[in-house]
Amino acid sequence: MSEDYYDSNTSYKAQSSETISSGSGSVSDIDYVKPKEVPDQELYHGHSFITKYIFCQDAKVIGVQYTLTAVFTGIIGLILSWMMRMQLGFPELFPVLTSETYYQFVTMHGMIMVVYLLTALFLGGFGNYLIPLMVGARDMVFPYVNMVSYWMFFVAVLVLMASFFVPGGPTGAGWTLYPPQTLLEGTPGSGIGIMLMLISLALFVIGFTMGGLNYVITILQARTRGMTLMRMPLTVWGIFTATILALLAFPALFVGAIMMSLDKLLGTSFFMPTIIQAGEMLEYGGGSPILFQHLFWFFGHPEVYIVALPAFGIVSDLISVHARKNIFGYRMMVWAIVAIGAISFFVWAHHMYVSGMSPWFGFFFATTTLIIAIPTAMKVYNWVLTLWKGNIRMNVVMLFCLGFLITFVNGGITGLFLGNVAVDVPLSDTYFVIAHFHMVMGIAPVLVILGAIYHWFPLVTGRFLDEKLGKWHFWITFLGSYSIYFPMHYLGFIGVPRRYFEMYDSPYMTSAVGMNQFISLAAFIVGAAQFIFLFNIIKSLKIGKLADKNPWKANSLEWYTPNVPPVHGNWGDKLPVVHRWPYDYNVPGAKEDFIPQTTPPSEVKDTGVEKT
Amino acid sequence: MSALIKKLFGVLAQKPWDPDQAVTDNVHQGKTFNISNQMSVVIIIFGVSTVIFSLIFMGYLYSIPPEQDTNLILKTNLLWINTLVLIFVTFFFNKIGSDLNRNLIQKIKKNLIIVGGLSYVFLFLQVVLWFQLMNNGHFVSTNTYFSSFYFFTALHGIHLLGGLFFWGKISSRVLKLNENEIVNEKKNIDALSVYWLFLLIVWLAFFLMMYIYNDAVIAWCISLIS
Repeated sequence: MSEDYYDSNTSYKAQSSETISSGSGSVSDIDYVKPKEVPDQELYHGHSFITKYIFCQDAKVIGVQYTLTAVFTGIIGLILSWMMRMQLGFPELFPVLTSETYYQFVTMHGMIMVVYLLTALFLGGFGNYLIPLMVGARDMVFPYVNMVSYWMFFVAVLVLMASFFVPGGPTGAGWTLYPPQTLLEGTPGSGIGIMLMLISLALFVIGFTMGGLNYVITILQARTRGMTLMRMPLTVWGIFTATILALLAFPALFVGAIMMSLDKLLGTSFFMPTIIQAGEMLEYGGGSPILFQHLFWFFGHPEVYIVALPAFGIVSDLISVHARKNIFGYRMMVWAIVAIGAISFFVWAHHMYVSGMSPWFGFFFATTTLIIAIPTAMKVYNWVLTLWKGNIRMNVVMLFCLGFLITFVNGGITGLFLGNVAVDVPLSDTYFVIAHFHMVMGIAPVLVILGAIYHWFPLVTGRFLDEKLGKWHFWITFLGSYSIYFPMHYLGFIGVPRRYFEMYDSPYMTSAVGMNQFISLAAFIVGAAQFIFLFNIIKSLKIGKLADKNPWKANSLEWYTPNVPPVHGNWGDKLPVVHRWPYDYNVPGAKEDFIPQTTPPSEVKDTGVEKT
Repeated sequence: MSALIKKLFGVLAQKPWDPDQAVTDNVHQGKTFNISNQMSVVIIIFGVSTVIFSLIFMGYLYSIPPEQDTNLILKTNLLWINTLVLIFVTFFFNKIGSDLNRNLIQKIKKNLIIVGGLSYVFLFLQVVLWFQLMNNGHFVSTNTYFSSFYFFTALHGIHLLGGLFFWGKISSRVLKLNENEIVNEKKNIDALSVYWLFLLIVWLAFFLMMYIYNDAVIAWCISLIS
């Protein structure tokens, strides 16, 4: 089917028209680019404040909206974690917090951080801002749907936050929402709270699907000329693969949320077995709580990679730019992203080793879990080898990248422990698990987000963030995070269980009291350090050092818009034409240590090409 | 599918830093597949919805109560009639596709109306079927079998309603067009046609599962094996 316009009479030439002889003896233009075959995208430009900044169809504005909303929920999640740590470290100082509110805070903290902060920020925030710019498009292919996607997310956040203010408060069933406990009286928020959580999740998934189809179609179908898939920056590959994962994994959460809502509202028994509550036989019967666990983790494990893959992609680009080297093993990096994405759908039940499922399942899922470590380790090697002999700029961005590398390796290795059934069973539901997943999918991706904000802040605002404040921010965050989560591994080893409001007189508590206090103090400091970052943003927005165009001397397209910050439509009259991949740094023979993707071959024809 | 896999591996084998590869890459137009954006949307919704329906199928198989008379629903003729209606809709969409190639504008308009009408008939009959079941005491909370049945059919109906929304938008435009302008709507009509085909496939899978997955058939299979 050919639905595109093709005008064979017009041809487009890049800046140079130098010619060379081809092997067959005919003459061809080395900068030749095929004529444009598709009409330019028509955009709706807002004219009022409301259409420019609120109900806006510009992907960049939508990206900023996603980011601000996600950061707002993240701050709520952070404050909740402070209160949890206050209870765990200094219970006598905070008598207001009851066991019910503690469980509610644990639940809301988990869900907010995983879904409403990290997923929304990586895909909605970075995805919207960077995809059209990096692939050379004017905007997402369906800008209106993209706008609706954000507002669905916004409503989802409002519904979630509303649960703090309803009778009974938000659900306190744990972020995994396991039935039947979630729906039974006695669990905090088992009335309106859980319904609002389920409605919010369903809205989030619907909204994300609208955004996700935009990201995928823009990347696959709306790239600029010369931008092949294998010329895309790894950031785009990471976001693209994560979006595919999310499109296939979120339906499991959606189905689970709807089924549980029906169990709650209509008395169906999808997940509810025959059960007695407070001596009274309920009308439920025949449902399977394990079915919900399967559905939840069929979403839940790919969710780890939905967060991790964009982080992998972004950190690859940051390392390459700030080490002034091409990314080591680009193809391997792409393969690893795709492989991790594919395998991530076959590991979900390693979260369920203690659920009573067949031991054969455990064997299978332990094997797949160990297999997924292979492409992940490949990426780590490639990051290290990219740094090797690089011209490393030890700025705040690089610090965050290095912090990510160390933290991710750390969290990844403890993941290998937990992937094995025999090791997981005794460590299950202990603080070892908390330490593991906070390292690998909490701190590590957050370090990438922070590094990425320092990196792209000049593009978004035209100003640098303050380096000095940034270094304070980094070191407190990095060392503080280790102070929180390193001791937690030990707590797990001695058997301290997670999700306990109070430890009572258990024997292991004697050695854990001091450590819990230390962890809590570290958590307060790390949390407070994030306000240094917020201060830095506000200060830099007003009086930050003005940034030149492309201040990091990067190659990828987002730095080559005619206006900085880029305006709606991104590219002025003509879309850019791509002539190379985005990793030509320190190419032998080149005048400068970087060659932008838009540079035609004739301008750098004496340069060598570094094999990788 | 094999072409898609070949294309995927072909892409992943490229060396973007290689000058020889650059010659090929420089003539790249920026599109990966030669399909319209509308069709891309349908394919993605296809993927997402397939996961949703597959998970409901799995839930249904996972939690079907023992000694459930799974033939009960099939005894009601409406389910068969509804299936036939959906097949007719797809048939008429197929006709619209061939008429588009021949630019038969009047036939296209007539068949588009038939398609919409039949889809509404399907939804109406589906609601009638629900009322029949409820009148016989089979409610959504009766057991997991009926819970799954109502859930599946409701979700399928919502998908159909979504399709009908876009059918309404496109039809209202097509009905005003003349022969020369109809080509502008071809991409939309094609995408709509594929969407309805998807809805039929999902429905047939559901129908077959309800038919196949019952105690009598399972006993027959076991007898074959043993």
